Amino acid sequence: MVRLDWRVVEGAAGLLGCEDREAVLGDLVEAGEGAWRGLLDVLGLVVRRQAELWRSWRPWVAALGVALPFSFLLMGFSVSVSLGYRQVTLHGGWLGLAGRAVLLVVLAWASGFVVGSVSRRTLWVSVVATFSPCLFCLARFRIASLSRGCLLLFVLPAVLGVWWGLRGRTVGAGVGLMLALGASMGMGLWGGWWVNWFLVWPVWYLVVLGGGDEKAYPRG
Amino acid sequence: MLGEFEYVLLTAAAGLGDKAYGAAMREEIEATTGRKCSLGALYTTIDRLEAKGLVTTWMSDATPQRGGRAKRMVRVTAKGIEEAKEFYDAVMRVSRGASWVVGKTGRA
Repeated sequence: MVRLDWRVVEGAAGLLGCEDREAVLGDLVEAGEGAWRGLLDVLGLVVRRQAELWRSWRPWVAALGVALPFSFLLMGFSVSVSLGYRQVTLHGGWLGLAGRAVLLVVLAWASGFVVGSVSRRTLWVSVVATFSPCLFCLARFRIASLSRGCLLLFVLPAVLGVWWGLRGRTVGAGVGLMLALGASMGMGLWGGWWVNWFLVWPVWYLVVLGGGDEKAYPRG
Repeated sequence: MLGEFEYVLLTAAAGLGDKAYGAAMREEIEATTGRKCSLGALYTTIDRLEAKGLVTTWMSDATPQRGGRAKRMVRVTAKGIEEAKEFYDAVMRVSRGASWVVGKTGRA
């Protein structure tokens, strides 16, 4: 039976990649190390591995360039779709609302895709960078006619995009181009605030990936 | 040029030959240098040496004495041997005349 302190060491080793975990835990068992030194060894390697990852541009772009700012923009877009729904129930205009809703789904999915494919093993930082603004805005949400959940309409498609990106998938160049052109046209029609145009570039990133060499695709 | 710890690690791996892997190399390094060697430093240095083409690594089969875990085996490449020799020669050259070298007297 594995002792509790070794379970802690094994739990910490879960932060390592598969081969690192296998080699390090085996080394500790073979050397007959105590759990305390074993834990220090494992955590030391975890910290070094994370530090190495942050020497690349990828986690910085994913967390600070996409996850954090896009979280604010997508929350704003989610609220505008929700307000649109309120107006449509009174004055009609379902087509425009449907267009905005589809646009939100595509933009959120593409943003999630970029975060998933670029951040890789630093995804947890991008997740924190996404949800910190959400918590901030949820705490200050003051629109009486809408529920707070309206802020988070983008979350589900974004999570699906992250999952897609982490699995190293992409879409074909043709599909990507259609999505990108559709999203750009949709942004022209229903985008609202000009800053929302920044939300379109992840969709064009899909086009670039889809048109590139499969082997050039960034993997974790 | 190699760093000091990179040289130590290459020398340990070369000395162990076909039995060079994490735990054995750490034991060798601690025994010969008298200093503690963390697995974090060991494995990140192995990765760096592998990226430079100075060692190759692969995962061996799991063994019972390691709790059914595999070893990460290390082999020094021809380029690694060449770099280690260059480092050794440089240290030997720069040490000539130093007071701590056996048979020499210091200038200070």
